[in-house]
Amino acid sequence: MTKETDQLQRRKARFVRGLANSAETMLAGLEENPELPEGMHYFIDIMRDIFVKDQEEHFSNPFCRQDANNRKIIGTYCLMVPEELIYAAGAIPVRLCGGSYEASSIGDEFVPRDTCPVVKASIGFTSLNLISLYQKCDVVIIPTTCDAKRKMGEELSKFTEVWMLEVPHVKESEGSRRQWLEQLYALKKNIEKLTGGRFVCGKIRRRELDSAIKMVGRAQYEARRLYEIRKSFPPVIPGREAMLAINAYSYDTAFEWAKAMTGLNDELEDRRDKGRVVAGSHAPRILLAGSPSIFPNWKIPSLLEEMGAVIVVDESCMGSRYLYDPVGITEKSMTDMMVGIAARYLMPCVCPSFAPNEDRLFRLLQMIEEFNVDGIIYHVLKGCIVYDFELIRVEKIMKEKNIPVLRIETDYSPEDIEQLRTRIEAFVEMLETKKKKIKEG
Amino acid sequence: MTVTKLRWTILIVSFFVLLMGGWIGINLGGFLPTYACPYVGGSRGGVCFLFRLQYLLGNGSPEAFIGLGKHILYFSLLVIIIGKAWCGWICPLGFFQDVLDLIRRKLHMGYIRFPERLRANLGCIKWIFFFIALLIPLWVAHPIFAPAVARDFSQPYCQLCPGKHILPLLLGDTNDVTVNFKSVTTIVMSMLGLIFSVSLIVGAFLKRRFWCSYCPMGLLLSWYRKISFIKLKKDCQKCTMCEACYNVCPLEIEQVFKERENEDVTFPDCTLCLRCVEYCPEDGALRATFLGKTIYRSTSKGFFARQRIIPLVPDD
Repeated sequence: MTKETDQLQRRKARFVRGLANSAETMLAGLEENPELPEGMHYFIDIMRDIFVKDQEEHFSNPFCRQDANNRKIIGTYCLMVPEELIYAAGAIPVRLCGGSYEASSIGDEFVPRDTCPVVKASIGFTSLNLISLYQKCDVVIIPTTCDAKRKMGEELSKFTEVWMLEVPHVKESEGSRRQWLEQLYALKKNIEKLTGGRFVCGKIRRRELDSAIKMVGRAQYEARRLYEIRKSFPPVIPGREAMLAINAYSYDTAFEWAKAMTGLNDELEDRRDKGRVVAGSHAPRILLAGSPSIFPNWKIPSLLEEMGAVIVVDESCMGSRYLYDPVGITEKSMTDMMVGIAARYLMPCVCPSFAPNEDRLFRLLQMIEEFNVDGIIYHVLKGCIVYDFELIRVEKIMKEKNIPVLRIETDYSPEDIEQLRTRIEAFVEMLETKKKKIKEG
Repeated sequence: MTVTKLRWTILIVSFFVLLMGGWIGINLGGFLPTYACPYVGGSRGGVCFLFRLQYLLGNGSPEAFIGLGKHILYFSLLVIIIGKAWCGWICPLGFFQDVLDLIRRKLHMGYIRFPERLRANLGCIKWIFFFIALLIPLWVAHPIFAPAVARDFSQPYCQLCPGKHILPLLLGDTNDVTVNFKSVTTIVMSMLGLIFSVSLIVGAFLKRRFWCSYCPMGLLLSWYRKISFIKLKKDCQKCTMCEACYNVCPLEIEQVFKERENEDVTFPDCTLCLRCVEYCPEDGALRATFLGKTIYRSTSKGFFARQRIIPLVPDD
């Protein structure tokens, strides 16, 4: 018995070391950049705290009426879980979608072979407690988006308390929107129960909810500012830095994150005005479409930008789309706020688990125009059927626009990195030649 | 000044002009495409189109017929210029509903939203009102059957219209808030009118712009939307379908955010209050045009300012 636990402990230690190493390599790589904006250090430090040092100091909630030992942490997956409700109740939301290779290889034991690495990693993190964050969550909320996430809820319930949140998949119909709103009212009740009963300090009150919407809205405003800055030509921030900053929101509270982001945005705007760019106008501008790249899986962004391309925008739920859509409310009644929150988390979301999902194509077209995109890398995580399905449609509309699309199917393992490098290199070179040709007329 | 403030200002001004303008000699004519109620009495600043329409139809004489042509022509010109902005920006009854709505909002009470099916079914009400206003006066003019009943049917829609009771009441005139016991017809009509008035007051308190979905005047105005100068337009590619426009719309028009093909999103119920443009978080996804020229467009900054997330700067 002791031998077994001992073995397990040793195994865990090996994974923890591996994770810390790969995360640290990635972060140190970013820090090596002599042009790294000052404001980026905050976000890099968050990632280091979480994945390397395994500590979280950033968590504070201005609405929390409990003492620090009693505060609740609620883990969330996907981006359909309304953070505003969690903040208003005085709890802290943490987004748990995993991106670690080490964790995904642990997860392999629990799920079928063809499951996507996000789910594998999330299960891996939870089952072995690679980082303490997963254990600290009092409850985990999992929206029923794609098949893998849905079944992940069942598997995770072996290790932690899980609340499923039913997301309708045909979002246009009135019935599904109403059902979604009902779901959120139920969720609100559950959160209230968790944070201290409906009548005591944990109740989600109108005023707190309004402030929470504003607080998250502030973060969204800053995220949109970064989005605007990334439109600048030539680019002023490499995509992997911008993506990391957005990704860090998962492990930070909206208030602190927005503050740090304001600093970064100010700095970047200043750089833009002074013409301090990170790549010339010849550098191909890439739209990273498809499955999310979640830290520390910085494989594709790193490869792309090492080859001289710049990711100007991505459409993943961990990147540009994470904080893009705000809650729109016009009055401070609970009804209107709940309706606004329900709308924000369902309607503008272009996760491919929805059908029909025509909106996504409209959004991609808009991005192509706004960001002067030269080419699309269509990232498919192995097992992410829904994104792969939509590739055909995306390729079709992009052919009309004469934008090359490169599909890359991979997972978190570093094995295929050299092979990917060759393919990405060829693609980037092709884009460069094409750009030159257009320039020369 | 934000569009909402501008709209409130215009609503207040037109409320006073239409209801009390008579005292300072204002007379805007008898063909106004808005509820400028004649029952307000001498202080009125103009007369509702429907009142004279029913009067002229019920008259039946050749002169009245020519008058009718002129009446409709003037009305059409007024409607073509600003379209259904008459409803959102000028109508005194609309203003009254907005005030009730404001009180509800200040009390932090939620609003009611009807299910789509119910709304579709209730859509026939305005057509019923319209045919009452159109056909009964013709019967009055040519009472081929039941002439004794027809006699008491002058201005049939006006008898039902909540404006007849509410607008004079706002000026302290309670004469119209009674059941008219002259005949069975008048008893029924005035009772119905009172019921509609009460339901408007209760309804507008619980549901934004409650009456506007059933207003026959709105129906008339909506027929001009294709040729009217003011239009609501949408850039379908920029739209993220975030539903914000639907949630802020007092008339709860769904089609605006669902539209994926056409640029013109001036739907029949739309009162051009432009709240959707104000609360659209995408730059230029929604805009209002006058004769094809953009007069107001949505901005991301404007959205965040109106949500009180960043300081409000005077932009329009």
